[in-house]
Amino acid sequence: MGGEWPLAQDEHMFDTRAMATGRARNLAVDSFEFDERADAATRRADLRLVGDRVTPMALAREQTLPVLGPLASLFPGGALQRGAVVGVRGSGSTALALAVAAGPSQSGAWTAVVGEPDLGLAAVGEFGVALERLLLIRPEPDAWSSALAALVGAVDVVVVAPRHRVREADARRMAARLRERGSVLIQVGDRWPVGADIQLDVVAGEWDGLGDGHGMLGSRRVQIHGAGRGSASRPRSLEVLMPGPEGGIATVES
Amino acid sequence: MSVAVRALVAWCPDWPVVATGADLASPVAVVYANRIVAASPGARAHGVVRGLRRRAAQGRCAELELHERDEAREARLFEPVVAALDDVTPRVEVTRPGTCALGMRGPSRYFGGDTAVAALVHERLAEVIAGRTDVRIGIADGPFAAELAARAARAVPTVPVGGMASVREEMAARIVAEGDVAGFLAPMNIEVLERPELVDVLRRLGIRTLGAFAELPASDVLARFGSEGLGAHRLASGLDERPPDARHPPVDWSVSSEIDPPADRVDRVAFLARTLADELHRRLGSDGVTCVRVGIEAETEYGEQLIRFWRHEGALTDAAVADRVRWQLDGWLNGSAATRPSGGITRLALVPDELIAARGRQLGFWGGETEVDQRAVRVAARLQGQLGADAVLVPERDGGRHPNEQLRLVPAATVELTGRSLAPEPDAAPWPGALPAPSPTRVLSAPIPIDVLDIDGSLVTVTGRGLLSASPAVLAARGKRLEVDRWAGPWPIDERWWDPEAHTRQARLQVITVDGRAHLVVLANGVWSITAQWD
Repeated sequence: MGGEWPLAQDEHMFDTRAMATGRARNLAVDSFEFDERADAATRRADLRLVGDRVTPMALAREQTLPVLGPLASLFPGGALQRGAVVGVRGSGSTALALAVAAGPSQSGAWTAVVGEPDLGLAAVGEFGVALERLLLIRPEPDAWSSALAALVGAVDVVVVAPRHRVREADARRMAARLRERGSVLIQVGDRWPVGADIQLDVVAGEWDGLGDGHGMLGSRRVQIHGAGRGSASRPRSLEVLMPGPEGGIATVES
Repeated sequence: MSVAVRALVAWCPDWPVVATGADLASPVAVVYANRIVAASPGARAHGVVRGLRRRAAQGRCAELELHERDEAREARLFEPVVAALDDVTPRVEVTRPGTCALGMRGPSRYFGGDTAVAALVHERLAEVIAGRTDVRIGIADGPFAAELAARAARAVPTVPVGGMASVREEMAARIVAEGDVAGFLAPMNIEVLERPELVDVLRRLGIRTLGAFAELPASDVLARFGSEGLGAHRLASGLDERPPDARHPPVDWSVSSEIDPPADRVDRVAFLARTLADELHRRLGSDGVTCVRVGIEAETEYGEQLIRFWRHEGALTDAAVADRVRWQLDGWLNGSAATRPSGGITRLALVPDELIAARGRQLGFWGGETEVDQRAVRVAARLQGQLGADAVLVPERDGGRHPNEQLRLVPAATVELTGRSLAPEPDAAPWPGALPAPSPTRVLSAPIPIDVLDIDGSLVTVTGRGLLSASPAVLAARGKRLEVDRWAGPWPIDERWWDPEAHTRQARLQVITVDGRAHLVVLANGVWSITAQWD
């Protein structure tokens, strides 16, 4: 044990995870405890008051989830809006989906990946998704949308890569549910029939490290285009290393 | 200051192992979530201890016999043991299968002193257990100290109550005299508090014994470590973990349900247990209390009344209560003929017995289980029910050279979802032969068979010395052709050469095709295939 890291670990203990979601609830609990002598009726009335006061704060669109630093410029306000559908396409889309999911995951959110049997788990870890808060769900095709509906609201980030056609009505219903519950859906590929709130496309990539019969796969320099609706409609563009030399995502050093 | 209520704890060591029916002298261990949770003395002699990973345990003792943990079975087999104490005192509580506790005030007066009760309890239990394991008894102020006393108990010769004076038996008991509890606890290592995070901090502060911890002013402990720290401090001082709550349940919070027709099988009552537990939880929750001890009551069609108390260190959640009800019913209905009720169960009731103010499930001081975690765990359980246990998977650390071997997927039902850590063990050596980062984002569950062709269109092969016959130029699969842009390799692996059935020799190539994709191409048994991709 070195002389320095125990202190650092000490400080981590004060980190509170997932503050954003439990806000209204924590407030309610506090006021409950401060006023232990009050009888049940006044308490409930107080609670309702507090509830009314915090409701507007709890609206999904006013809450955001963090994104990793290198990707921040692709998102309006540098953060991921709760309730949004993020679409990722292009060669490298799996990596990009993982990189987007990593931000919320590192701040304590759970991630669920639905119906993707081929996920490389080591890469998931390298991109920074917390493996201890990762669920992989493999529903039969007919149970796909009910599984998705159960996850939205319970898990903050849901990643899907639909292999079949998704009905437009299902997609719209899901979008409404996301806005109401505040989860983020990351969908890989172009099978989603409705436009995404934020659409990210990997448009070009150049691998580094591998030669003609020598070397080893290293980093990949990619160009990502971002577009979308509302505040995300202004086109954005970004160049990053994805994966970087150690796996994961890294900024391009110029 | 409230002194803890005097209690007796009877402890049967290695109960999870005993419940498997294995011989304790041979190396046997019980695993849960890939970790050893109990080991027989035979296994401990080989260095197999609690908390070890399955693989590491097998490394220390090759002939180790492993059993998956089955708490229901442990509880079922423990029921006759507890039942043997029913005529000593009606209020025996099960802390967990293998450990039970009883309040000493009444029995001690009735039977004439602590030693007499200890001897009686020991005799009764030894009779039921019949040599499968031994029985240790501890008596002290408060169940915490009593359990530690039981663990510290050594065999001492004594005369059984009611037995012939000439018969001397071995009895393992440790009786801490009234008021001596602080002195008994003081030299103990703080690890016995079983709060790893707190203990870790305390140890770095130079506090290594319960006595040193108890010397800290309680108000400072509360200020720095919150109510959990204060609870631990009270235990270390020989007090009850929580100050006794003057508010004894004035309201009847118990929930019950009639069962018609009478149930004689557990599966018929199991779903009812779940509903009752939910209802109890909701009722308690709406009044801001939570219970740490619950009585499970059953009535049979012939009017027999069965009741058993279960305790839980933390507050009992609805799922924990439902589990305990199921185990208890299992114990009653599938027990030996002597303890089994004579008819089916007609009424089931849950009686919350010890209530404490619910502090709310706030974020723990050390992270701990958060609201977010709870929601995710609940949805995982729900989806398991809906889609089947194999459809909800989580990663678990393992070993190997191929992608998705060092982390592999296991059904979520087999691991504890919260409080896990999947960080690689700090002293873990790397797997020689594994490819370094970046790892492929897609590991194909069904590898795509391909042909790797050279510039002339003939198949590329790998020689016995691990060299390519020619540079790969084209990957051809299902009539499609992809030209190779850049490549490297081959990296050979020769695995499990000691086992003729599992022996594999493979050669791996990293290939970037002209469309910009990177593939891991593997030759095994003379067939090339794409096994993973960087997408």
